[in-house]
This record gives sequence, structure tokens and C-alpha cells, in this order.
Amino acid sequence: MIECTHVYKRYNNGKSGTNALYDINVSVGQGEFIYIIGPTGSGKSTLIKLLDGEEVPTKGIVKVVGIDVGSLKGRQVPIYRRNIGVVFQDYKLLPTKTVYENIAYALEVIRMKKPQIRNRTKEIMEVVGLADKGNSFPGQLSGGQQQRVAIARAIANRPKVLIADEPTGNLDPGKSDEIMDLLEKINETYGTTILMVTHDLTLVNKHRKRTVVLEHGHIVADLPEGGYVRHDQ
Amino acid sequence: MISRPIKEGFRGVARHWAMSLSSAIAVTVTLIIISIVMILSWHLQLFTKDIESSLSISVLVDYDHESDADKQEIRKALEDIDGVKTVTYRSKEEEFEFYISEFDDDIKEAFEPFRDDNPMHEAFYIETDSGDQIETVAAAAKKIDGVWEVNYGGQTTVDLVMAMMGIRRFGGIFVIALSLLAIFLIQNTIKLTIYARQDEITIMRNVGATNGFIRAPFVWEGIITGILGSIIPIGLTVYLYFLLYQTSHGVLFTNMFKLAAPVPFIYYVSGILLVLGILVGLIGSWLSVTRYLRWKR
Repeated sequence: MIECTHVYKRYNNGKSGTNALYDINVSVGQGEFIYIIGPTGSGKSTLIKLLDGEEVPTKGIVKVVGIDVGSLKGRQVPIYRRNIGVVFQDYKLLPTKTVYENIAYALEVIRMKKPQIRNRTKEIMEVVGLADKGNSFPGQLSGGQQQRVAIARAIANRPKVLIADEPTGNLDPGKSDEIMDLLEKINETYGTTILMVTHDLTLVNKHRKRTVVLEHGHIVADLPEGGYVRHDQ
Repeated sequence: MISRPIKEGFRGVARHWAMSLSSAIAVTVTLIIISIVMILSWHLQLFTKDIESSLSISVLVDYDHESDADKQEIRKALEDIDGVKTVTYRSKEEEFEFYISEFDDDIKEAFEPFRDDNPMHEAFYIETDSGDQIETVAAAAKKIDGVWEVNYGGQTTVDLVMAMMGIRRFGGIFVIALSLLAIFLIQNTIKLTIYARQDEITIMRNVGATNGFIRAPFVWEGIITGILGSIIPIGLTVYLYFLLYQTSHGVLFTNMFKLAAPVPFIYYVSGILLVLGILVGLIGSWLSVTRYLRWKR
């Protein structure tokens, strides 16, 4: 589902460029749920940008759902992006739209028919446990609920891959567990491949899954069964 | 689905009504000036056409070249000059009749003795393709063997024609410069609109919206602003032109300056103003969104 082969990413800022990623080789199968962990500046954000088509690798090949992301032309990127859902730490909801409208928006954008949008949105609100919040505005919801809306929006068009960038970063541990449960449920129900970037080692140690550790742009560990990751790693 | 971007466009105009108003006013001012320049320039063209067609060059034949063969040769030489449209021959008898026809009857009688000893010349009248060729054609005609004298409406008339053409050209440049200014102003308004909706655009891109989908509401916003800006200029143009036409009875100063009949003319001008308003709005908003939507790859 995700295939990174000898991927390098170098940012040319000024005379001295910075190597954000250095010889990255990762293969993620369909339906897998993996963590990407590492300290700030280890290249996690760059990896996400390469996966969602925002950036092009300097060297190497990034393949997602069989598409060579680096070779896409600018106008092909939007269509490619429909294969992947993205969830952010700060939710990125539209404050002037209701929960229902925020979710339906993702479907309007890809020009789905109205009755279909209605059905799909209702179904997804059920999945994320917000069936009764359709008419609420994001400002009236708790952080955990807002993140559920964001997840609902990300999976509304049934993407094959879901990228979650620090989805629990703004939440307390209890709410983080709830979000984890929801992501696991989506992973099982829809077979969505989930790649979750996180700082939250407590979560990683509690919900054990394959864990890739990044440091200074290198992969320093790829733990197939996950497991205990020390806080200094 | 077509209604979505239009609805969003109206919403955008309403949300940033102060900015939209200022761009609409910029369009309004521009279009009012364009309207004036356009009406002036159209009439200048009418006037110059009128003057040009009344301008002809008279070529008088020397007394000792009045044989049919000589006249034939001169005619041919005249017709060969670049820019000559028609050459009309008038005999010295016709010239005499034409000359005395301009006087009152009693004076005409005074000229009668000259009828048998006609002092007039055989003549050719030349019409040129356009007003600015009069000088060169006249100069060329003068060089032909057997030509005694060449006359045309005079340097002042030619200068007038040239001046009018200059004004028209300047008006055109002026109009283009003003349109660019209006486009620039709309571009800035839309840029602010985009800035205010940056989050929304980020989200749209993340869920896979195409550039066209993202662009459409902003372009409609520009078009709506352009249409709003063209309402007042159109109203003013129609009202004032009708007023001018009625009070002047369609004539300015002398019979030479006739105003165009308002009915089809004013509709054309209004149509052009509306189209210009729409174009200015469309181009301005298109430019600012497109720059924003370029992918970093």
C-alpha cells in the first residue's frame, strides 16, 4: 500500500541544504496500522508531505496505492489525494459550518451526488459516535469530539490510506485512548491502512503495533510487533 | 452543482462588502471614463470620416496640355499614384458652370462674357483611400508633366484629421491603462478574500479538491464585483447620452458634427461596458487565485 524505496529528501535553503530524510526504506501492507515516532526534526512531517504529494523526493521512489507520487504532475495531485485521508493535530475544521456540513464538505468537493452525500455523512457520523451532533458547530464541541469530526471527514470518501499527524497531540490521555479506539475500529471495519505519527509514547506502549522510529532523517528501528519504546528513543 | 460557486461568490462579496465596494467603485470610475472615451472616440471617427470624404484634391491641367491624348496620359498617371481611390474628370466648361453657380443671379450675369473665353482649367478630382494620404498624393500629382496646379482642402484640414487620429489613439491607450488599474485593484481585493479563507483552501486541497473547484467561487466573486461596478456607468451613459441627444437635436455646433442615433449606439456602448466590467473582474480574480493555487512541485 505504501512503498518507500531509497528515499532521500533534501531541502535547499541557502548554501547548506538540510537532509530531512536519508535512505528511507519502508513497506506498509494493506490494512496495516503503524506508528511513526521520533523527536522533533527527525523527518516525520517531511515523510507525510512526501506521502500526500505536497513534496517530491530528491531521490528514490514513494509509491502509495500503486501510484508513484513523486512523478505526479501538479494538477494530478488533487485526484491522487482522494486516495488518502489526513487528520491533523489541530483538527482544521471550518468553524462556520456544522458538524454535518464539515463532513459533507469533503464529499461535495469531490462532486458526489447530494443523496449519496447525505447517506454517507449520516453513516460516518454513526461510526465516529457523533450521530446526535450533526447540527452543532465545532466551537460547541470538546477537543476529542472535534477530532472525531476531523477523522469522519478524512474517511468520508473511504480512502485506502489514512494519515494521522499527531491526532492526540492536543488531547488528554482519556480522550487519546478514545481516539485510538476509533482509529482501530476504522482500521478493522474498512481495512484502511493507517499511518499514525505521534509523540505519545504512552499510547504507543499501550496499543502495541508495528513502530518505525525516525531520528535525524534515518530509520533507526522498525519494530514489527511494536513494544516498549523508551522515552529517550 | 453550477449554483454552488455562484452562491459562494455572492457570499464572498457580502462577507467582505467594504472591500468589494471599493473594488466595485474602482470599476465604476474606470468604466465611466472608458464610456466617455469610447463615445468621444466613436464620434471623432464619424467626424473624421465625414471630413475625409469631403476632402478631395483638385488637379488643374496646363493650358498647353488640353489635347485628349495629354489628358488621357495625365489621368493614367494620377490613377497610378499609391492611395488614389477615384479620379473624376471635369471639363473647363463644367468648371465654369460650377464656379458661377455659387453666386447670385446678378453676379452670374457679370461672368457671362467669360463663357466664350473661358479662363478655367480642365480638371481632375482625386479621392484618396484615407485622410492621411492627401499630402503625399498631392505632392506626387504635382510632379506629373502637364499639371499646372494641385489644390486640396489645405494644411489645416489635414492637421485636424491627424489630430483626431492622435486623440483616438491616445484614448485607446488611456482605456487600456485604466482597465489594468481596475484589474490590479480587484486582484488585491480577492487576495484578501483568499487570505481570509486560507484554512478552507487548505482543507479543500487536503480532501482532493481540484484547482478549478477551489477557484470557481473566487472567480464568481470577481465577476459579481465587476457587474456591480458596471451598473452605474451604464445607467449614467444611457441617461446622459439620451439627454444630450434630445437637447442638442442630434447636432453639435455645426451640421458637420452629427451625433450617432442613440438607439442602437447606446446599447452597444452599454454592452461593451458590461462585458468590460465582467472581464476585469474575471481576470483580476483569476490571476490572484491562480498564483495561490500553484503547486510547489
